[in-house]
Order: sequence, then structure tokens, then C-alpha cells
Amino acid sequence: MTLSAQAGTAQPITELLDAETVQSIADEVWPSLVGDGEAFVPVPVPPPADVVSAWVDILGPWTGSVVVTCAPATAEALTESVLMMRPPSTVDAEDVADALGELANVLGGNIKSVLPGESRLGLPQVGAAPPRGRLDDVRSLVGQWRGDFLTITVQGATGAQHAERIEEKPL
Amino acid sequence: MIDDSRAMRRIVGTILKDFGYDVREAGDGRQALDALEEGRAEGWVPDLCCIDWNMPVMDGLQFVFAVRANPGYRQVTLMMVTTESETGQIVKALAAGAHEYLIKPFTADALRDKLALLGLLPEEVTA
Amino acid sequence: MTLTATSFDWVRQLVHRESAIVLQPGKEYLVEARLLPMAQQLGCAGVSELVESVRSRPDAAKTRRIVEALTTNETSWFRDGDPFTSFAGTVLPQLLAARRPDERLQIWSAACSSGQEAYTIAMLLADALPNAATRVSITATDLSRKMVERTRAGRFSQLEVNRGLPASMLVRHFTRAGNEWEISPALRRMVTASECNLAAPLPRLGPFDVVYLRNVLIYFDLPTKQQILTRVRQLMRPDGWLFLGAAETTLGVDDNWERVVLGRGSAYRPRKGS
Repeated sequence: MTLSAQAGTAQPITELLDAETVQSIADEVWPSLVGDGEAFVPVPVPPPADVVSAWVDILGPWTGSVVVTCAPATAEALTESVLMMRPPSTVDAEDVADALGELANVLGGNIKSVLPGESRLGLPQVGAAPPRGRLDDVRSLVGQWRGDFLTITVQGATGAQHAERIEEKPL
Repeated sequence: MIDDSRAMRRIVGTILKDFGYDVREAGDGRQALDALEEGRAEGWVPDLCCIDWNMPVMDGLQFVFAVRANPGYRQVTLMMVTTESETGQIVKALAAGAHEYLIKPFTADALRDKLALLGLLPEEVTA
Repeated sequence: MTLTATSFDWVRQLVHRESAIVLQPGKEYLVEARLLPMAQQLGCAGVSELVESVRSRPDAAKTRRIVEALTTNETSWFRDGDPFTSFAGTVLPQLLAARRPDERLQIWSAACSSGQEAYTIAMLLADALPNAATRVSITATDLSRKMVERTRAGRFSQLEVNRGLPASMLVRHFTRAGNEWEISPALRRMVTASECNLAAPLPRLGPFDVVYLRNVLIYFDLPTKQQILTRVRQLMRPDGWLFLGAAETTLGVDDNWERVVLGRGSAYRPRKGS
């Protein structure tokens, strides 16, 4: 599945969305979706060796993805928190894909609604993050949750000469 | 509870069960319509449907249109629970026949407040 | 996380004493998150240091800030329902009948916080009266300058507008501003916000036809409650209406009020001859 955009037709995300807005969205999403008192703190910590990402695509006057990235163990802890699970319950890969995907979905949906014009939101996907497009078409918050590396990145689609094409994979 | 996210179905389901609801789930609008039909056959009609917007096969808006077109489901309250939060989207959903609209992210208190507004909060929970 | 078990326990007991709210074990993250800004502001290394400093040197202002940081939830619109539905259904029609057409109705939201109560009233009025802006004025006061500024701004987050606000009212009376929602200019003009300390002699406000004094008397001791109710009554029309919080009453506090049952709640009116 490739998400492409007409090169040079849209403004870069840095002109459409500032870091404070993304942070204020995270400030609402974390206490409600992840748990009361939880927070995404925009203070960087060293990245882990291995990461997993969840993202949703935004298709509209601006086209790209909203990507959440963290270590696999962090993704599991996030899932336990989102699903309000306590030991001895453990989460499986499907739970993680679902909870992380929903986190990306809620962040993405709120980011979409502050972008100009009308856009559509794709269904959540989980795995290796999509490649970034133009380097200036990235708005990234690098930070932590409970001390663990976590980033929220709003990134433009890879440029292409042809018109957009979106294929939505069913979950 | 109609949402393609199992996490969201579980979260809302847990909150509603705590409020005393019996909860059934569906992963898209088509599954939900089928479940409504099956439920009606056994005498189970929901008081409330919580509906996500963006779902595969049949989205939440189409589901609302379908339910409101069916006089057999007149007493069912329909509430969108979605990230779609532009004014135009909310207007569209209300015009299609949704009764209420809860924006994601939301807290359990917010869901309770909406239920109270709709008169759908079991009395013991109003404290 | 720096919060020690003893610190958490102290905070838990404090909050329960001051607000009756129970912080369950497992809520350490909540205490940490909510108190960290205050700890940093006061130059403490972390939340435990903040707590220990207040334990060893009791400080009423700091204690109050700690309690507020842990008990403030987003306030909701149409809180408890009745004080607003009965305002629209019973109180407003009676007032309109009792007043001359050129008399402006005056309403006071006397602990307005971020403005949800004042704008709830404004929305109800806008929906009930074609000429609401000319017919009614709403005074909103709060002890906190920050809350007064928030009320003036009339801007609310997604989380805040989710709390008990009918979606149809959201789309009719608000527009989106970035990730927030802003009340319409017409409704914003109906509300005048200012600072006011209820526990001190009141500025010359009113006279009010309706006063909302909800969930604020609980913070005061009995003599102060009585003082406040007396001062409030002095700023009201003799046939005015007072709404208190759902669990509050003037009974046992001030018998210069008559209780009137409205819907499943009640309102209080100055007793005749008081």
C-alpha cells in the first residue's frame, strides 16, 4: 500500500501545524485514552534499539500520516493501560496492534480536524513506520511516556508525479 | 457498541457495564445491522447504540441512515463516538438522525454526562 | 517517579479530609502528574520534596493548591440538569411576566470557574428568547483571575465540550478555533466576567433576578456561609431566585430563604419580610 501525493502542490505540515497544537492534543488524549494522570512528556530520552509504529493516513489538501513510535515493550505497557488490564492478564499481539492503532487513530483524527480544508482519515495500521516524504514536511514531537521513548510524528507522504492513490487495507 | 477498534469496544463496553448496561458489540455498520436484526428476533433491542464513524464495509453515518430509515428501530438512541469533530461532520451526523455526539478522546465522566442528558443513565449511577 | 509511599499517603488523607474525595492506591501517577508543575514552580526537586516541605511547615495556601490540583475536574455544562431546565421552563417565564419589557434581567454566576455555567445560561436564553442579548445580562465572577480570563475568552477544549453539552448546542453556539471550541461572539457579549471574593464584602453588583451559587459554599465554615448568603441576598431582587449545588441547602444555615421545589431539585427565594 503506497500513500503518495502530488509533489509541490501542498504546503508543508510545518506551515499548517505547530508543536504546541500537537502537544495540546496529546495532553487531552493521554489522560482520557491511556489513563487518568498519564501524560506524554515532550522531553527526549535515548531511542531504543527496536521500535514499532502505529499510524493513520490523512488524505486531503495535505496528505501524509500521523505516526506513533515506541519500543515494543512500551507498546505492551501502553496497551495494558489503555485496556485497563491488571496482572495476571497479559496482552497479545492483536491487543497491542489494536490499542496502539486506536491511539494513532485518536491523535490522527484530532490533528486532521485542525488542518485546513476537508480531509479523510485512513484506518489504523501497525508495523514499520511509512517512509517520510520531504524533510521539511515533518512535524515531530520527540518525548516519553512513563520515562519510555515515544514520538508523535506528522509526516508528509513521499512525493510522486502522479495523483493520489490510497488503498485501505481492512484490519 | 459499534467500532472497528477492539480496544475502543472494550473500553466503552467496560464503562457501560459498570453503569449497569448489557452490552453487545459489532465491528462495522453491516455487522451492527445484522446484529440488530438477530437481536430483534430474540427480543433484544438496544436502548443505545454508540457508533464510530470510520469503519470498513459500512461506516457509522451509513449505519445511522439505515437505522433511522427503519421504523422498527424508532426507540433506539444513536450516539456517534468518533474522532471526527469538525462542525460540519457533527451537523451531518445530527441531520442523518444521530441523537448525540461524543468526541474522542473522552473520559468516562463525559460518557456518563451524555447518558444523563439522554435520560439513559440508570438511577443508581447518578451520584 | 519520585513520590514516596508516605508522601502519597499524606496527600491521600489530606484530600479526603478537605474534599471527601478518595484517592485509591494506584493513583500515584495522578498525584505525581498533577503536583509536578507546582513542585517545579516552587523549586522542589520533585513531588515528594514538595509534600515533605508542606508537612513540616504547614502552609494554608500551598495546602489549598495541592487539594485543588487533585480535585479539579473539568466542570460540566448543564451540571445536574434541573437548575437549568427549571430556569428555562419555570423561572424565566415568571420573571419575564413580572418585569417590564424594558427591564434587563440580571443573572449572576457567582463561582463561574472557566465559564461553563455562565455560557450554559446564555445558550438557554439565546434559544428561548429572540432578543436575549438585549433582554438579559449575565455577570460571572470568580475568585481566580485565571478563571475570569478563561470565562472572558469563552474557549474550551474538546474534553471540556464533551461534558454534558448537547451536540446540537455545540454546533449552533460554538465555532472551532484550532483544537478548541469558541463560544459565539453574540453569547460572549452577554457575559461580563470579573474577579470577586465571596468571603469579603461584595462589590456593588446586581440587583439580580437569579443567582447561581453552586458548589462553592462547601469551601467555607458556617459563619462565612451565613455571611455570604446574607450578602448575596442583599444583591438580589426580593422576588429573585437562588440556585445552590445539588447537595446543598440553606436549611440550618440561614432561614431567610424559602425553599421552592423545582423538578427534582429546588431553588431558594428571599423570605418575605426578611
